[in-house]
Amino acid sequence: MALAQHNLGTVIAFEFTRTIKKRGFAIATLAIPVLLIVVFALLYASNTTTKNSADAQRNAQFSFTYSDASGIVAPAGAQAAGGTPTTDPESAIEAVKNGSSEAYFEYPADPTKEPVKVYGADKGMFENGKYEAVARQLLEASAQQHIGSPQLTAALTGAVKFNSETFKDGKAAAGVGGVIPPLLFLVIFYISMILLSNLMLNSTLEEKENRVTEMILTTLNPTTLITGKIISLFMVGLLQVLVFLAPVGLAYLFFRDRLALPEMDLSTLVFEPGPMITGALLLLDGFTVFTGVLVAIGAIMPTAKEAGTIFGPLMAMMFIPFYTFSLVISNPKALIVQIFTYFPLTAPVTALLRNGFGTLNPVEAAIVIVELLVVGILILRLAVHLFRYGSIEYGRKLSIAGTFRRSELAAK
Amino acid sequence: MSSGAAEPLVHIQDFRMDFGDTTVIRDLSFDVHVGETFGFLGSNGSGKTTTLRALLGIYRPTAGILHVGGKVFEPSDGSRLGYLPEERGLYKKEHVLDVMVYFGRLKGLSKTAARSWSETYLERVGLADKAKARLDKLSSGQQQKIQLGVTIMNNPELLILDEPTKGFDPVNRRLLMDIIEEHKRAGATVIMVTHQMEEVERLCDRVILLKDGVSRAYGTVEDVQEEFGGTVYRVTYDGVLPLSSLFDVVSDDDGRAELAPLQGASEEKVLRELVEAGAGIRSFTPARISLDEIFIKVYGEQHELAEG
Repeated sequence: MALAQHNLGTVIAFEFTRTIKKRGFAIATLAIPVLLIVVFALLYASNTTTKNSADAQRNAQFSFTYSDASGIVAPAGAQAAGGTPTTDPESAIEAVKNGSSEAYFEYPADPTKEPVKVYGADKGMFENGKYEAVARQLLEASAQQHIGSPQLTAALTGAVKFNSETFKDGKAAAGVGGVIPPLLFLVIFYISMILLSNLMLNSTLEEKENRVTEMILTTLNPTTLITGKIISLFMVGLLQVLVFLAPVGLAYLFFRDRLALPEMDLSTLVFEPGPMITGALLLLDGFTVFTGVLVAIGAIMPTAKEAGTIFGPLMAMMFIPFYTFSLVISNPKALIVQIFTYFPLTAPVTALLRNGFGTLNPVEAAIVIVELLVVGILILRLAVHLFRYGSIEYGRKLSIAGTFRRSELAAK
Repeated sequence: MSSGAAEPLVHIQDFRMDFGDTTVIRDLSFDVHVGETFGFLGSNGSGKTTTLRALLGIYRPTAGILHVGGKVFEPSDGSRLGYLPEERGLYKKEHVLDVMVYFGRLKGLSKTAARSWSETYLERVGLADKAKARLDKLSSGQQQKIQLGVTIMNNPELLILDEPTKGFDPVNRRLLMDIIEEHKRAGATVIMVTHQMEEVERLCDRVILLKDGVSRAYGTVEDVQEEFGGTVYRVTYDGVLPLSSLFDVVSDDDGRAELAPLQGASEEKVLRELVEAGAGIRSFTPARISLDEIFIKVYGEQHELAEG
């Protein structure tokens, strides 16, 4: 037992170190945060400019003429903004055309049926927006003055916040705040599989392609080797996620306003024990199933190139449940949803989705968790078996049955 | 892995190995005793590597007993084993020292000990400057040296070498033989698969000769030589060798020949026949038949049958 633990630690350290030391890994891992930093820097610069320009437009001071058939526009406000009333629209338009006037606003008798016409001297695409901004602000300010109530104005313009609360079993339901946390397990599942699946596939192929199998099998229990590889890959994935998230986190903490990142009220998130535990178990099970399958493929296939032919369809299985996304949420009893819920390669995603949206009842959850656990362990055992008795088949595709009946193994 | 004085370190009994409908090894039995150097001989495809793989648990035997140190081999016994497989390879994209330390750790050495041993070994084999190089940047011969280092770094009690000289030039072959002799002197048990018969004659205490998965000869080198004709006569001559019922011409090349006496023909009778036939004998030396000749004799039959 002590030797197995020692070897497990040795394998984890070796696999983890050599993976993160690879130049390709460093490039792939750092490329995304570097790209994010560049994008954020550009956004920062752009948003600063945009904010300044928007402020400048809103507060732009220029002289204009206006006509108001509606009677809404307050003359004092218009004058304060630099406006002069006119009763001759044609002359006003002509003045704008020949440059003697900067702008002319024509407010119709009924703004709900006719548009407000804005004429202005061309100042470039972006700056031209100031004419409409000022015409709009003048109209809104005048209307508010007529109403005489900021509350009514807010109600009319939709500037009112709504807080919804629903109840389930006599208690306040979590709503969207309860959906997001369990769905995070789905996000983690996708990220880990996308980042790690290729590494998983290649990690066992490497022993085969490099003819290291015999040295390994006479030194190390294959279960220890594969367990060590899986743990090290999980650590690698964790490191990648942290590296990816670091710039996002820093940007959110320090430059949220400048980068126009949406404000998240984390206090609305509800971490219900049931869905959270179910999500964690489904994630673990799903990870085990897919890892086992990838290791098994690595043991069967002679090269990474040939393994790719199976790898593609396998990865597609992770995305197929999204074709039935609306059914997963609205009609979980649909046959296709039921099949996807229990078929081992689609079950992790489907069950995680349903768990997030609250359509996976406890009995179904228990069945899927147990099923995936059993299937995952069996597949991992099969993967170890295939590696044990199959990876010796250097350069040859392996028959799974062959490893059991000992046929088709190369005689030397 | 240690076994009692009387108990063989490696014990194979009634071993049979089938691949599908094909029986590759049939009723093979032999022992290897502690401290001896054992030659495992046979042509390509005779079942040597299969036997070693089954012994080390890489293949599952169809039938029979295959024991190392009195029990079925487990990877946990690997710390006392040095195995140089026929199919060689290490983690090619990793650095030499990293790979050596990794295998040293798996074989039970501390990190410091594995590193220290590796550096000393690399110095000895002239690869000290390659410690930080990637394995795939090394020549094939250099990679072989690293593989050999990984094999012996745990000072194994049992050293199994499957065609150890494959890919080595004469200089490195000498180095390899020196290393094997060192381990032999240190009391290690060595099993060696090789086609280099002169090495077998020089190093091995006992041998087994395998043909089509069946043992054709087993015992000390002298026993096997005796079984396959015992004494031969090496002659140098100027004339023409006569045809005779007293001997077979085993080899004849440029005035040098090796004659195998038939039906116990004595040294005197053979020499007299040669002299009387006017063969122009310049020297006549009794010697034991070489393993090389035995090998050719055994597998020559196979070729003759195949051609026939």
